[in-house]
Amino acid sequence: MTRVNILYISENAVLLEWPEKICPIQHQHIMFCLQQIYSSLKGLVIDCIASYSSLVIYYKFEQIAHNSLNSLLNNIIQKPFEANTISANNNVIEIPVYYGEDSGWDLKDVAQQSKMTIDDVIKAHTQTTYRAYALGFTPGFCYLGELDSLLQLSRKSSPRLSVPKGAVAIAEQQTAIYPHTSPGGWHIIGQTPMEMYKAVDGQFTSTLAVGQSVNFVSINKTEFLALGGIINQEQDL
Amino acid sequence: MNQPRDKVINNSHAKYLRVVKQNALCSIQDLGRVSSQHLGFSGSGASDEYAFLYANYLLESITHTKNPTQPKNCLNAQLEITLGQVTFQASHKCTIAITGAECNVHINNTPIKNWQVHQVNANDRITFNQPNTGLHSYLAVLGGIQSQLWLNSRSQTSTENHLGFNSQAITPGTSIPLSNDCFSSEFHSEKLMTKTGKPQLTPSSFYQELTSTLVLRFIPQPLWLSLNLKSQAALINHQFTIAAESNRMGYRLSEIPANINIDPQQTKLSKPVTYGTIQLPNNNQPIILMKERQTIGGYPVLGSVMQTDLFRLSQLRPGNKVQLLPTSLSFAQQQLAALSDKFSFYSPALL
Repeated sequence: MTRVNILYISENAVLLEWPEKICPIQHQHIMFCLQQIYSSLKGLVIDCIASYSSLVIYYKFEQIAHNSLNSLLNNIIQKPFEANTISANNNVIEIPVYYGEDSGWDLKDVAQQSKMTIDDVIKAHTQTTYRAYALGFTPGFCYLGELDSLLQLSRKSSPRLSVPKGAVAIAEQQTAIYPHTSPGGWHIIGQTPMEMYKAVDGQFTSTLAVGQSVNFVSINKTEFLALGGIINQEQDL
Repeated sequence: MNQPRDKVINNSHAKYLRVVKQNALCSIQDLGRVSSQHLGFSGSGASDEYAFLYANYLLESITHTKNPTQPKNCLNAQLEITLGQVTFQASHKCTIAITGAECNVHINNTPIKNWQVHQVNANDRITFNQPNTGLHSYLAVLGGIQSQLWLNSRSQTSTENHLGFNSQAITPGTSIPLSNDCFSSEFHSEKLMTKTGKPQLTPSSFYQELTSTLVLRFIPQPLWLSLNLKSQAALINHQFTIAAESNRMGYRLSEIPANINIDPQQTKLSKPVTYGTIQLPNNNQPIILMKERQTIGGYPVLGSVMQTDLFRLSQLRPGNKVQLLPTSLSFAQQQLAALSDKFSFYSPALL
């Protein structure tokens, strides 16, 4: 039996809570439930938001009795579910990153704090296949996990007012890309020239979707610039 | 690169309201983009849904019986005017409704009543003054504001202004596009409320005195239930002051009483948060999440303020007092459903 708490947290929102951990297999179950909920509740779902170990369903509360919803959710949670291994998931997005001291403002500092060489930091960051656990903070910002334990540092004591677009950053067990210039408290170790979202005809498409697998690939400065990357000095922003 | 900014000014719209003077915040709002939260977008939308729905209800009342097949007005975008201090000039005759905070609104030099429909002639100036109490006023125009859609909504979100997704923020000189059908020729103010045969709604029964303490009823979460009775009682009896750093994203409250023992929680993994979530950060100053909230958050959560009380809260200012009181899910749902029933044309099915 999977232990999932069902909490009715708002008039039109129900929160499903799994054990509090970052775990790709558990997260696959969360995404499985999300899809099942969409297909079983059809027009009654307003939105479903998944995070690391939880899922919120916004629904049209006036159109479904509490008991029906509850038993439907319980059925979905207990449905047999088979997790895939990462290797079976061929849909891995590769993100090119220029890891340099000019693009990764904290690269040297991260190496020092984690008692590694810069090359080892790059190696540790690129050798993991990450899972996209949640979207949030700002449009297109995707929380990726789980970071190599050697690189896990707490957030910067004082956040920067401005972090450049495309900055690749780490904090605690997570890594992420800042999709546009914004404030940020994570350690910047590189920069990608890749766009993290498209906004066309009033609709938004994020490059990374929750549940997706992600790899970082190291590129040099020439390649970075050729792909349209722009180096920002910290004092320029 | 981001998409080029689309301008509110759009020549294909022959009819518009032009901002002549503006000293405070004014934005275009509808009921938001509640189905885009999974992409990391706040729900956004009108701060005070009661006043918003009321304004569209007033306009619905004058068109409803005449043209029942016409699309409903309830979701039409309006102007949310925060702390008044704005003057618009109409390019054409139009029919408007005003609701929300009392701004002593004038058409040219004539004062007009709040919570009513009015006719405006071409070149008339509509002036909102600074309200003595309350925050948000609504100006609805028949046919709705016709700015560009973003995520199927026209709501403007302050934190996204710089990203260029939405129509440009409203500033002096902005022309706000209107529908071609912005004028009702059959409008008679004295017949207004009787036309639909519905009893007159009384906004004064929804809002209490804005200067007295507002009781915020909330649906509790496990953290609340884990408190001992003494701590629960202390929290319920505590009068909170709304702090200065309160806005459309969240309302910050003064500290919880010192004698309340809430275990310093371990860092929690971020979870989705809803409209009305009461977060409790380490500084012990609760934050109530409002329309422009983030979609996920990691702070411990006491519960969620029921939505009809959030509409009331949205009209309060820093310095105003609130109290917290637990309620049941079913009560909160009944209250929200009752509100939808009042504006009977408004149904969640339309969202």
